[in-house]
Amino acid sequence: MFTLIPFLINGLTLGLLFALIALGFMLIVGVMEQINLAHGSLFALGAYVAYALLGPPLPLPVGVGEWWAGLPLGLRYVLALVIAPCIVGLLGILIEQGMRRTYGKDPLFGLLLTFGAAMVIEDVIRSVWGTRDYILPTPDAISGGFIALNLIWSTYRFFAAFAAAVFILLTWLLIERTRFGAVIKAGAHDSEMVRALGYDLAKLRIAVFAIGTMLAAAAGVIMAPIWGIRPHMGVDAVIPAFLIIVLGGVGSFWGAVIAGLMVGMVIGLTAAYASEWSLLSMYILLIVVVTFRSRGLFGKKSILEA
Amino acid sequence: MTDRITRRGLVKGGTMLAGAAAGFGTIYGPWKHNRAYAQEGKPIKIGLTCDASGMYGASGRDELRGITMCIDEFNANGGVLGRKIEWITADTETNPATASRVAERFITREDCSILIGAIHSGVANAITQVAEKYGTIYLNSNSSAPTEAGENCSRVKFVWDGNGTNFTMSSVKAAVERVGKKWLLLTNDYVWGHETSDATRKLVEEAGGEIIDNLLIPQNTRDFTSYLLNIQQMAPEVVAPAVGGDDGKILRAQVAELGLDKQAAWVQSQQDWPDVWAAPDSIIGIFGTNWYHKLKLPGVDDFVKRWQARADADAIPVPGNVSYCGYMAMRETLRAIERVGTTNNIAIIKELEQLKIPAADRMQDYDAWMNPDTHHLQQTIYLARRNPNPVDDTDLYEIISASKPEDVVDPEEGKLCKLAPYEQIPTVDG
Repeated sequence: MFTLIPFLINGLTLGLLFALIALGFMLIVGVMEQINLAHGSLFALGAYVAYALLGPPLPLPVGVGEWWAGLPLGLRYVLALVIAPCIVGLLGILIEQGMRRTYGKDPLFGLLLTFGAAMVIEDVIRSVWGTRDYILPTPDAISGGFIALNLIWSTYRFFAAFAAAVFILLTWLLIERTRFGAVIKAGAHDSEMVRALGYDLAKLRIAVFAIGTMLAAAAGVIMAPIWGIRPHMGVDAVIPAFLIIVLGGVGSFWGAVIAGLMVGMVIGLTAAYASEWSLLSMYILLIVVVTFRSRGLFGKKSILEA
Repeated sequence: MTDRITRRGLVKGGTMLAGAAAGFGTIYGPWKHNRAYAQEGKPIKIGLTCDASGMYGASGRDELRGITMCIDEFNANGGVLGRKIEWITADTETNPATASRVAERFITREDCSILIGAIHSGVANAITQVAEKYGTIYLNSNSSAPTEAGENCSRVKFVWDGNGTNFTMSSVKAAVERVGKKWLLLTNDYVWGHETSDATRKLVEEAGGEIIDNLLIPQNTRDFTSYLLNIQQMAPEVVAPAVGGDDGKILRAQVAELGLDKQAAWVQSQQDWPDVWAAPDSIIGIFGTNWYHKLKLPGVDDFVKRWQARADADAIPVPGNVSYCGYMAMRETLRAIERVGTTNNIAIIKELEQLKIPAADRMQDYDAWMNPDTHHLQQTIYLARRNPNPVDDTDLYEIISASKPEDVVDPEEGKLCKLAPYEQIPTVDG
């Protein structure tokens, strides 16, 4: 049989990528207790905006387009990784404005609203960029392959896994090690008390939703060179993201990260030894976990259960 | 006590009898429902069952362009039998359940007398079952699973693309002799993938080669790293993937990124033009096609220009095999209606069963013909690879061989296909 180590390494990198995909989804569900079904479409939109910045020249005013195209691809890639999430974050703010009326009501209202937003975003993508596929250009330094353990590995994939780890760390620092994080967590538990202390809860919610959608877009930019860019690519992201949140336990940051790693590992290993089970394996893992822990690995009771 | 037949009793008895007869009829027949839509001057309505989303969404859009181009051309010349042709389409989502619902709606509510379109074999098979129930002619324009004209053939269905076996036959024997005997199969885990890999396995073993493994790839796989690690550790001489649509595009891109096509030869079944166009830098190995826009044959340039003249902004700059198959399937069926002078389904079916298309008219190297026993169009099969000397941005293929239809006939198809007698087919007059 094959050497196990390459598949474990592969499972780990894949797990980090899955955790990245679920990160924005987790933030909004965990802190705001809102299921954002537009997560996948925002993920796709991030990839498309990055393509607009890195692909064929943009129709910008004379001089600006040439200046942008003249920048090294590596610099443009880094800027795209910042600009695309910011643009998508603005859209996230708009969606949050629509969601306000659903706060404190049946979670189904928010779910339907974000589902509608997902369909609108996907249709906007189709009308702006069409239905064809695109490839996101990447700098030479993170393209191609390298040899390790007598095997060829994808350089970009390791870069993506590293970037995922950085985003996970930054999100954790934001939630657990900043005053902002403490206030938004408090707002999720006791909104009246947070208001009484003088915090503007509406602004906090805007900030959380914007950060959640920015993380979705950043994941889209990072995954685009691996998955390719197409209008329905969001579906490929939202299903594992939802599964990871349920598996890890709604509201648990580390639950989502560990669930992402578990999903990556189980897919990576089944693809190696029983390939036909590779995608199904994550659903089997979910069934096994929720059979014994109905709120997921680290889940606590949430208002979504009401 | 007197036995009197009262009016109330008569009505009650009659109602019960009618109910019983209706119930009996429902259970025991008649099963054959005949439908007639044909009216002088009324348009002929055609249902376009093309994917707009899912793993074959891009190909489905390209197929739609070819079909609608053909309909537009006929309408510009007065339609068929003096009647205009109307069409309706809905996204079949590369999903058999959706396709089944769409087909049912097109036939029963939209009065479509012909259905056309499918890339995915599961979708094609689902549409076939609905079409067969109503006797509606169904043109499988682009699904190339060998089962489509094999065990899943139908009297009402005609298959216009080459199948996985046709393409495999054009390449496998030579590859075993010239490249290597140690083969690895990659199989998309659905009908087309399995059938194509089965055909490859058989041909490889007949040619003296060996299949060292067959890795099944679930549909919608987005990360192939585990498979690529497996391939590197198994070190086959030839890899034969039967992986289509979005899955195939992503696989090729990931193989090309690592340069794994330099370690082993990649021999593939048909590559659809929209998939190739989506990632032109990731063309690997050799692969099949049944048409290319730079074939040096009569009519090709004119066809390309006509196609480009009406292409939408989202279209690929030139037509490929998918659009071509959609166009040809529609054209030959509309011509058949003109020849028989009626829209009666049985008459059209009988006409299509006799179909012969000269090479020049078909824009291929050899004459094509419809196999009356399987309803599968036998046609030229080309083998191609990446063009090392392209003349422009669209010149991605180098055609390396053209197989005659008779040299790549699927030997199993005729054995497995059992067409229902004409008498069992509900009549439809569109």
